[in-house]
Amino acid sequence: MAKYPTEPLKCWPKAKELRQQFYRNFSEAKEKGGIRWMGSAWAPDAVVRGLGKDVYSVTGEPYGASCAFDKPLSAKFLSAAENFGFARDLCAYMRNYWGSILCNEYALDKGKFPKADFAWSQHICCSHAKWYQNACELEGGNVPLFCVDVGAGAYPPFEPEMYPHRIRYVADQMMDGIEWMQKVTGREYNDELFLEAVWNDMRLTSKWAEICMLNRATPAPLDEKTIYSLYVFGVLEQSNAEFADFYDELYDEVKDRAARGIAAVANEKARLMTDTQPPWGFLNIYRYMEKWGAVSVGSLYTFGLAGTWLYDEEKHDLIPRAMPDKKPATREEGCMMLADWHLSKPEYQHFYHPEYKTKMMDAIAKNWKCDGVILHYNRGCEGLTVGIAENRLGLLERGNKVMAYEGNMGDEREFDETATINRLSIFLESLGLKIED
Amino acid sequence: MISAGIDCGAKNTKTVILKDGKVIGKGSVLTGFDQEKAVEESLELAIREAGISRDDIGKIFGTGAGKDSVRMADDKVNEIKAMGKGAIFLFPNARTVADVGAEEGRAAKLDENGRPADFAINEKCAAGAGAFIEAMGRALETPLEEMGALALKSDKEIPMNAQCAIFAESEVIGLIHAKTEKQDISKAIHDSMASRIVSMIRRIGVNKDVVMIGGVAYNPGFVAAMKRELKLEKIHIPDDPEYGASLGAAVLAVDG
Amino acid sequence: MAVEKFQEWYENRHAYQTDWKKRTGSKIVGFFCTYTPEEIYYAFDILPVRILGSHEIQDVTEPHLFAMFCPFCRDVLAQGLKGRYDYLDGITIAQSCIHLRQAYTSWEIHKNPGWSHYLPMPNHVQSPRAVPFLVGEYEILIKRLEDLTGRKITDSDLNKGIEIMNKVRRVMKDIYEFRKQDNPPITGLESMYMTCSQFFTDAREWLPVAEEVKKELETRKLERDPGKRLLIVGSENDDIEFIRMVETLGERESVGATIVVEEHCTTTRYFWDEVEEGLDDPLTAIADRYVSRTPCPSKDWPQRTRLQRILKFAKDFNADGAIVIQQKFCDPHETDIPFIRKFLEENDVPTYFLEFDVTTAVGPFAIRVEAFLETLDQEDDLF
Repeated sequence: MAKYPTEPLKCWPKAKELRQQFYRNFSEAKEKGGIRWMGSAWAPDAVVRGLGKDVYSVTGEPYGASCAFDKPLSAKFLSAAENFGFARDLCAYMRNYWGSILCNEYALDKGKFPKADFAWSQHICCSHAKWYQNACELEGGNVPLFCVDVGAGAYPPFEPEMYPHRIRYVADQMMDGIEWMQKVTGREYNDELFLEAVWNDMRLTSKWAEICMLNRATPAPLDEKTIYSLYVFGVLEQSNAEFADFYDELYDEVKDRAARGIAAVANEKARLMTDTQPPWGFLNIYRYMEKWGAVSVGSLYTFGLAGTWLYDEEKHDLIPRAMPDKKPATREEGCMMLADWHLSKPEYQHFYHPEYKTKMMDAIAKNWKCDGVILHYNRGCEGLTVGIAENRLGLLERGNKVMAYEGNMGDEREFDETATINRLSIFLESLGLKIED
Repeated sequence: MISAGIDCGAKNTKTVILKDGKVIGKGSVLTGFDQEKAVEESLELAIREAGISRDDIGKIFGTGAGKDSVRMADDKVNEIKAMGKGAIFLFPNARTVADVGAEEGRAAKLDENGRPADFAINEKCAAGAGAFIEAMGRALETPLEEMGALALKSDKEIPMNAQCAIFAESEVIGLIHAKTEKQDISKAIHDSMASRIVSMIRRIGVNKDVVMIGGVAYNPGFVAAMKRELKLEKIHIPDDPEYGASLGAAVLAVDG
Repeated sequence: MAVEKFQEWYENRHAYQTDWKKRTGSKIVGFFCTYTPEEIYYAFDILPVRILGSHEIQDVTEPHLFAMFCPFCRDVLAQGLKGRYDYLDGITIAQSCIHLRQAYTSWEIHKNPGWSHYLPMPNHVQSPRAVPFLVGEYEILIKRLEDLTGRKITDSDLNKGIEIMNKVRRVMKDIYEFRKQDNPPITGLESMYMTCSQFFTDAREWLPVAEEVKKELETRKLERDPGKRLLIVGSENDDIEFIRMVETLGERESVGATIVVEEHCTTTRYFWDEVEEGLDDPLTAIADRYVSRTPCPSKDWPQRTRLQRILKFAKDFNADGAIVIQQKFCDPHETDIPFIRKFLEENDVPTYFLEFDVTTAVGPFAIRVEAFLETLDQEDDLF
C-alpha cells in the first residue's frame, strides 16, 4: 500500500555515465599516454593528482565488489587465488583482485587486466598494504609500491587531542610519497594540481555527509540500495572535481525530494540501518525488506566511507565535518590538511576501539530515527567487522533492536540466502511489521 | 476453540492440538522426502489421539524449516516466535529458550509475552546440532538413544579438541584407539556439543530460567552437560520437548 | 636441572605473578603483543607480562568476538573473561594485527583493571618517519605510566630497562646457539618453555636461571635421536602439545624430529634484536629497536624482509625442512604464506603447512607431520 509519493532520481543516468567513463579512462589510460595506478579506495588519491590530469585508477574495493556481481567470474577469480595458496578467509575483494591478475582478466570490460604503473595505498587494517604488496608481486614484481600508514590513533573526541606528531607522521609519509612518485614515473610534480585535489577531496566528502543528513527526513528520500550506487564516487576517487560537482547536483536534488516528501520506498513503515558492506551479489535482500515496508536509510559504512563527519559527544550526534576556512597554499600545508582530514574518517575510528563505532552507530540510529539495526557479520572483511560483536552488545545496551546475519561481501559461497531471508523475516516480524504480497 | 500447530522439522514433523489451553492430541512422524505427506500424517495422528474430526479444528498454524509444506495452514509463523510462545506457555517465567533439533540449534531471549527480544541461530555447523551426537554415536557403534545414558556413567573430563564435526570424528576414533572407555568418550562428545550451544546462548544472554525444547532435550547426557556448562542446577524441560515449537504454533493460532 | 624451571613457570604463571606482586608490592601490566616496549615498563619498575591463551575449549568469548577472528585472540580474551588475570593493574597493546586488538578492547570493556593503554605502534616500519612518530607515542605512554605509578623516570631508568631486556635477548640467543649442534642439548619444547616463561616472569629473576641453563647446556647430552631438524615459521605459537608430539614422534614411529629454530612472535621475532646501548637518547634507541626488529607480517611492507631472515635461520640452524604454521584466520600470515613457501622451496627448504586452532587435534596432525618427515628422508642434506 503506497503511503508516500515516489519518483526516480533525475541524476541517475548521469551517475551511470560518470562511472562508466571513469572505468573507461582507466582501461584506456595507456593508449593516451597517461598513468595508471592501483590502490585502496581509502588511498589519499589527491596526492597522485599532482602527477597530472591524465592519471587514472580503479581502486581495489569497488573493483572487488564489481567482481562479486558476476558470480561465475568471481568464482573463477576466487579459485585462482586459492590455487595460488591464499587462504579462503582472506578479504574477498583482495582475493577477487589477485584472482583477476592471476587470470589476467578484467571484470569491468572482460579484456586483459590493466597493469598499473605503480601502487599507492594507505594501510589501516592488516591487509591493505599486503594486498598491493602481493598484487605487485603477482604482476611480475616490477610494479613499485608506496603505502601511507594511517594507523596513527583515533581522532577527537575519541582521543583527548589530535597530537601534532600523529598528523605529522601521516603528512610526512605523503611528502615522501610525492618524491617517490616523481622518481618512479619520471614526471614532475604539479603542486597546484595537488592543492586543488586536496580541496576537492574535502569538498566531496563533506558534501556527501550533507547528502546523508537529508536522509533524516521521513519518508527517506534515498534508500540504501540506491545509496550504494551513489556513494561509490567517494570511493573511486575522492579528489575528483567532476565527482565533487556531481555531489553538489545530487545534494540539490535530494534536498528537493526531502522538501516535497518524495520517498525512496513508497510504503515506508519502519526505518533500518545496516553495518558493513552487504553481500554484493544479493542486494535483492533489500528489496525483500521493502515488501515489509522496511527501508534501510543508511549505515555508518555508506555515510562514513565517502563522507567525513565528526562525532559530537555532547549532542550525541554525527555532524558533517566543516570545510577549513582557506585552501592550502603549499605542498606541506596540503599534506598536513589532507592527513588531518583523513585521520578523522569515521570508518577509521573503530580500528582503535569498538566503543567509538557503537557511539556513532547509535547516534545514527537515534537521529535518523531507525527502528532496527541489521549487522552483517561480513566474513569477507576483517577491517570493517573488527569489534562488530561488541557493537552489537553496545547497541542492544542502548535500547536498539539488533539483528545479525553472517555472510560475505564478495564470496557467495559464504552467504546463505534462504537462511538470511528467514532470519530477516523473524526480525522484521519482531518489529511489528507484516509482509505485503 | 480448537487449534493445531504443525512443526515441519528437518527430521521429524510434529503436530499439537490444543483445546481451551489444554493439549488434547499429539502426533510425530519422520519428515522424509515428502514433507506434505508427513504434515498430513502427523496431523492425522494427532486428530486420532484427540478423538476429534478435522472440521473441529478452528485454526491451523505451520512452523519449522518446512513450514511452506503445511498447505492447510491458516498462517505460518517463524520458528523463533513459535518456540518462544511454546516455552512461555509451559513455563511462564522463562526468559531464555534453547531449541536444539537434529539440524539446527536456536536460542531466543523472551519478553514477558514470549515474544523474542533477541535470538541466535547456529551458523551452518553440524557440531551444534543433534546430528552431531548421532554421527559420533556411529563411530562409537552406539545407538543414539543410548548415547546420553552412557555419558551419565562417566565423571571424566576429556576435552574434545577438534572444533568441527569432521575432525571430531577422527578424534573420537583416536580416543577409541587409545582404549578410552566408551562412556568417557560419550561424555566428551556431549560436553563438546553443549559447549557450542551454550556459546550461542551466551550471545543473547543467559537467564536463570532456561527452557530447553527440541528432540535433543530427551538426551539426559546432553542435558547434564548443558547444566554443567551453564552452571545451572536446573533447566526447565517439558515432558515432550520435541513438541515445543508445534505447541507454540498452536497457541499462536488462538492468540493470533 | 635449571632448564625444568622454565616449564614450572610456564605452567604456574598466575601463581608466580600473584606471588611476585605480594613480594614486591609493585604493579603488573598485562600486554597483548610483543611490540610493547617492555624497557619502559621496567624503567617504572612495573612488571610487564605477556598474556597468552591456555589452549582450552571455552564458551565465554562468543558474544564478544565474531567467529572469523583468530583462535588465539579468543583464547587470550577468555583468560580475562574467566577472571584469571584479576590481579593485573593495567593492560596494554601495541598496535599490530586487528585480531588480537579485539581481545584487548573487549577485555578493556568488560574487565577493565583501571588502567589501559593502546599504543599506536607504526605499521610503516620501513619508513624513516616511523621512529620519530613512535618516540611521540612513547612520550604519551610515559605520561600515562606516571599516572599509574605516581612517579617520574629519568634516562638512567630507561637505560636500566634497556639493559634488562638486552640481557634477556642475549642469553636467549646464546642458548639458541646450542640448538645448532648436530644433537642439540636442548629440545624445541624446552626452548619454547624458556622463551614463554620469560613473558610471565620478572626478567631479573628469570635471567640467573637462564644463565645457569646456559652453563648446563655446555655439558648436557640428550639421550634421544634428534631425527630431522625442523624450522617452524608462522603466527603466534606456544602450542606445547604440538611441539611435544613432533619431538616424540621418533619414540613411536620410524621417523623423528627436533625443532631447532622458529620464527614466531613467541620466540625469535620477539627477542632476536637488541636496543643499541649507550646512545644519548634512550627513547629513540628503544623506538628504533621496535621499528627495525624482525617484523610481524602485518608490518612487513613494501619489502618482504622476513624471507631473508627466515632463510638465514634455516641455513644457520641447518634445518632439513620447515613447517609453516598459521593460526586459523590469521590474515597477516595468510598474506605472506604462499610467498614464504615458494621462497623456501626455491631455496631447497621443503615446507609443510598446518593450520592451528586453540587446541591441537594431535592425532590428525601426527599423521601429517610423520608423512612430511618421511618425504624429507628422500632428500639429501641441504647445506
